[in-house]
Amino acid sequence: MSLLPALRTGALARVNPVTKLGCALLVAFTLLATVDWVSAAVAAVLETAVLAATRLPWRTVLPRLAPLGVAALLAGITTTLYGVPAGRVWWHWGVVEITDGSIAFAVATALRIAAIGVPSVVLFLTIDPTELADGLAQLVRLPARFVIGALAALRLVGLFFDDWRALELARRARGVADRGRVRRWAGLVFALLVLAIRRGSKLATAMEARGFGAPGPRSWARPSTLGRPDAAAAAIGIAIAALAVIVSVATGSWHWVVS
Amino acid sequence: MHATISSTTDAAARRTPDPRWRPVDIIVAAVLAVAAGVVFWVWDLVSNPVGAPIEAALPGLQGIINGPWLFAGVLVGLVVRKPGAALFGELVAASVSALLGTVWGPLTLVSGLVQGAGAEALFALLLYRRWGLGAALLGGLGAGIGESILDLTVWYPGAKPLFDVLYAATTMLSGTVIAGLGSWLLVRALARTGALSRFASGREARARA
Repeated sequence: MSLLPALRTGALARVNPVTKLGCALLVAFTLLATVDWVSAAVAAVLETAVLAATRLPWRTVLPRLAPLGVAALLAGITTTLYGVPAGRVWWHWGVVEITDGSIAFAVATALRIAAIGVPSVVLFLTIDPTELADGLAQLVRLPARFVIGALAALRLVGLFFDDWRALELARRARGVADRGRVRRWAGLVFALLVLAIRRGSKLATAMEARGFGAPGPRSWARPSTLGRPDAAAAAIGIAIAALAVIVSVATGSWHWVVS
Repeated sequence: MHATISSTTDAAARRTPDPRWRPVDIIVAAVLAVAAGVVFWVWDLVSNPVGAPIEAALPGLQGIINGPWLFAGVLVGLVVRKPGAALFGELVAASVSALLGTVWGPLTLVSGLVQGAGAEALFALLLYRRWGLGAALLGGLGAGIGESILDLTVWYPGAKPLFDVLYAATTMLSGTVIAGLGSWLLVRALARTGALSRFASGREARARA
């Protein structure tokens, strides 16, 4: 079972998920430190160039990016209306105050969200949960029991969908399926949760019986490794973050988010 | 193995809460978190396209819809009652919704981390000994505080102080009611079915009923 099959084409397929996560977080935290349109624009342009080079299928990528565009736009609208007022006042009505200052902040906010979101949406499209868990446990050295437990639970999602179908059929057979859509859904979700917990308890017993959580060294069926593609990806991530900072500071537009 | 035996008796569990995680704690926490992650993802889909344009025009009151994204940590904390449960639950739930595909990408993970840490901090303040309604509400409030701080730095960095205050207040209110009260009611209902029989949270409710 898989939630959404990860994209396996293009150069990104050979990069370890941990590297992808690291790059996305690096760019995100760098841009979060400042609110200015220059750093965000520089990062966005560079990211677009890199994406074009990775040759992911645009038909898959663009629909996933669309909600991000909407979210960025809406955050921009909010900031336009309620941003810190400065400079010329364009419109003032109650608590709404559109000024030069709030518009500038709005543009910076929207660009920043786009620049943070684009690489992350795309990188996550290409991440396989199993590989991510292997990387997090072996390379980042997060506690293995927790990482593997989470992965085991994730694999139950496929069963959730089967359970949902079975529950619906069972209720229909009993003649309690046709009234009150909201109530019925709430009941189904609850029943699903109970089933999931019971299955989880059983799964835990089975895993314990096979040595899960036992003391002693753990071995790994799928070694997670870093290689040349990871070095290249990390270099690109660092370059994007660094260029955004350098250009922003050089043009005097860097603006600390907390000041 | 010792953990399993020592926490089988209810009274012993109440006197000295065992901070060690049994495999069943980890797996059920993860299962609940994964289910919560699916709920997060559905809430993303439902809340974004419908309410988003209206929300964008509100002076900070849009924080009221944040509650459903905060409940995973409180829920897992209340069920498992271990140090780190709230953080683990919220983080796994956030990862699942990120893998399913959210607008926010890895920032979803940061959100999960901050929300979980908020709930975790308040459970820790109670020394992981109180798990009643009050603790649930505080956990929801903690998650709301974490989320407010993050959102106001990430999404609305240029907003006016009035907006900041309204946004934080509505987020915390939503966290307390939906994540806090909601999780408490859910855990109580789950306990009544007997599904939580391997946890102190489930046995207590059965003993009372």
